Amino acid sequence: MSNSKKIMVTHVESMDQFSLLRDHALDYKNTELEVIVGCLELSRYTNTKKEDLLKLIHHISKEQISVVLEWDGLYQEDKFIQAAAVVDSLPLHEISAIRVQDPGAVEYIKNKYPWLKIQLVLENGNHNLAGLMKWSEYLGEQCSRLILSNELSKEKLKEYASVLKAPLEILLFGRILLFYSPRLLLSPLEKDKLKKSWITASGSSEESPHSGFPLIENRHGTFMFNVKDLSLLDHLEEISQLGIAHTRVDLRFDESFNRYIKDLFELFSGKKTEADFQLKINHPRPVIKGFYNVNKTDVLFTKLKNSRTQRQDDFYLGEIVDVERNQQLALLIKTNALSENLEIVQEIKMVTPEGKIKIMILPWIKSTLGLPLLQASKNDLVLIPYTNGVTVKTQVYINKSVK
Amino acid sequence: MPHWTPELLSPAGSLEKLKVSVLYGANAVYLGGQKFGLRQAADNFTYEELSEGVEFAHSRNAKVYVVLNSFLHDNDLVELPEFLYLLEELKVDAVIVSDLGVISTIKKHSNLVIHLSTQASCLNIESAKLWKNLGATRIVLGREVTIKEASLIKKATGLEIEMFVHGSMCMAFSGNCVISNYTQGRDSNRGGCAHSCRFEYSINFNDDKNDKGHDVEKRAAQKAYFMSSKDLEGIRLLPEFIEAEIDSLKVEGRNKSHHYAGTISKVYSDALRFYKEHGHFLSSDMLNWEEELRKVSHRDYTTGSLDHYAESDSIYNQREHDDNEYVVSGIVLEAIPEEHLLVDVKSAFHPKDILEVMRFSGATKKCEVQFLKSLSGVSLERSKPGTVVKIPYIEGAEKFNIIRRAIKQ
Ligand code: SF4
Repeated sequence: MSNSKKIMVTHVESMDQFSLLRDHALDYKNTELEVIVGCLELSRYTNTKKEDLLKLIHHISKEQISVVLEWDGLYQEDKFIQAAAVVDSLPLHEISAIRVQDPGAVEYIKNKYPWLKIQLVLENGNHNLAGLMKWSEYLGEQCSRLILSNELSKEKLKEYASVLKAPLEILLFGRILLFYSPRLLLSPLEKDKLKKSWITASGSSEESPHSGFPLIENRHGTFMFNVKDLSLLDHLEEISQLGIAHTRVDLRFDESFNRYIKDLFELFSGKKTEADFQLKINHPRPVIKGFYNVNKTDVLFTKLKNSRTQRQDDFYLGEIVDVERNQQLALLIKTNALSENLEIVQEIKMVTPEGKIKIMILPWIKSTLGLPLLQASKNDLVLIPYTNGVTVKTQVYINKSVK
Repeated sequence: MPHWTPELLSPAGSLEKLKVSVLYGANAVYLGGQKFGLRQAADNFTYEELSEGVEFAHSRNAKVYVVLNSFLHDNDLVELPEFLYLLEELKVDAVIVSDLGVISTIKKHSNLVIHLSTQASCLNIESAKLWKNLGATRIVLGREVTIKEASLIKKATGLEIEMFVHGSMCMAFSGNCVISNYTQGRDSNRGGCAHSCRFEYSINFNDDKNDKGHDVEKRAAQKAYFMSSKDLEGIRLLPEFIEAEIDSLKVEGRNKSHHYAGTISKVYSDALRFYKEHGHFLSSDMLNWEEELRKVSHRDYTTGSLDHYAESDSIYNQREHDDNEYVVSGIVLEAIPEEHLLVDVKSAFHPKDILEVMRFSGATKKCEVQFLKSLSGVSLERSKPGTVVKIPYIEGAEKFNIIRRAIKQ
């Protein structure tokens, strides 16, 4: 077993869960532990009532286990005021840190509780070092952790861990959130219109190759998760060697806590591997590694538009807007390429949407009234001779190779 | 004394659309360069187009804001400083940004004015204070914020506030949807959204759990477009926007048509102009403006969260379909009085059809197509989209006017 540091971060939602966790913690004393607690008003998908949260904070902090309050909702002003009042009413001196996502919550804690450590959730976007450094700098000493996006590859994680001073955390095992809306989208479909505070469902679409997206509606809005959960359990050792000590296991769904918590202690103490979890049998959904190995979510962009119908600025003249077979082409002049007018006997290059290139020396240019012109300039619509194969949206350039 | 009105900020998906938006009354336009914005499928502006666009807008007292609102990865940031120099050189009025890495790069390499994009989901006073500290001078608030809350944010921070007044809406908190990333391999926060929220889904409610604690579905599935939002329409709330002193009203839609850019800009700018002059609105005008807004392609309209948080009546719950009263027949490319109009045809029309020319100000002008010819003068029985045709000159028509046709009476 290696000496690199591995700290298991997990949510606890009830005293029963905490008892179980504490028992295992006693058995596996070498596994460092951090517990996240929250309540309905503050945490996006924690079902704990405030009075139970108070008990949890009290008991966990007494056990000398690091306890972190989760405040990860996003809030419009009216709702923010209510949520902040809940935070104010909690025994913040008993917790080790608060983890926040809404920049409003960040600012609120920074100013009102400057002594309280902040764990900043940056799982959404935040895919560059410049931004991460700025966040860390903005919070200064108060920043005790940056929780990074699961869209970052291990190569990036390694780079960031080597540069950033703040400790880092990523999700090791759990659901992948795809969509967060403040609107209540499931209850309008419920047959019995009794207001329910927590609705779960799954959604499938024929227009998507994937089916069975888990859905939750609660007081924070509606959440959709990926059809496959994230599991980097096999990479725990590697992640810690990248320099990321804190890895989170989110066991709040599918009653995973009781099923996996013991195995997780064993994994963290090096006694088990992912294979021992038998996820194929035990887990309700398949698991993936997400973007851990590589993120190529921008490579398809080039296919979203035809670059040949996009003008390239050098020597650009304009676009063919009409073609009359065997008669003429209509050219809309959009620029003064080389600051010159278009003149007869000039050589032009036409690039069709299919990429064919046609060269022509202009024998004539006409106005739209059919009158011969010696030259034309920007914003003119002119007629030029028909050329086989040239279609509408063909881009026209002065045929020069060096400006 | 003219009454104060907010800026009308319209989309400019291309140079032509920029001209259309400005000519139809927008006080400002927003557009994207070839990179760094959120509309990878849009035409976007080359440097020369940008330069011409800025010149065109500034010569008509309209401002130009450039979107740099993708959540960029490290390698995307490498080319950003060079682009920032170009934007400063062109004297664009501001850049619209959501990523803190982009903000710090801008501050390091330029003096560009920074507007925080709606993509950053700024929803409350404390959040606005944070972004102010980090360099934003204007906040484009999340579409979940009410006008009342926006007014509080403005008063508490002294920042300029921009709100969406019209257009399509993400159902998710902006920037908080990565469906495309995981299902299509396209980063929605770098412009690759595949609009999965517009799909129909079969929903199975979980009523039970099996012995392993896994959710079990018992009821029959329900089919619904449950994540598809209606479109925002805020024309009726203009008095509230003005009262709250919201600085800028934004129209969504860089990917939308010339018809859309022109119509929405014209309706809202007509309304704001009327208020500027008279200090009130007339209900008869309001009805006309609403009628005009129904003439462009749209989903059912909602006021979203502008007056109260969006509820179930803001869900569109329908397949995407065109149910338009009007179609755009074309755009005027050339107007030669006494001679002809040259029309860039967008949808087919025929001789004897009644067309409407939307003039830049004032009422639309109806006319019958007395002749329809090709550019070489051959009479046509039908215009073909993607061609240019000649029709008779219509009094008052100008280059970039939109020509439309009623398809339902
Ligand atoms: S899928 Fe819908 S909600 Fe998600 S980013 Fe795209 S438009 Fe927005």
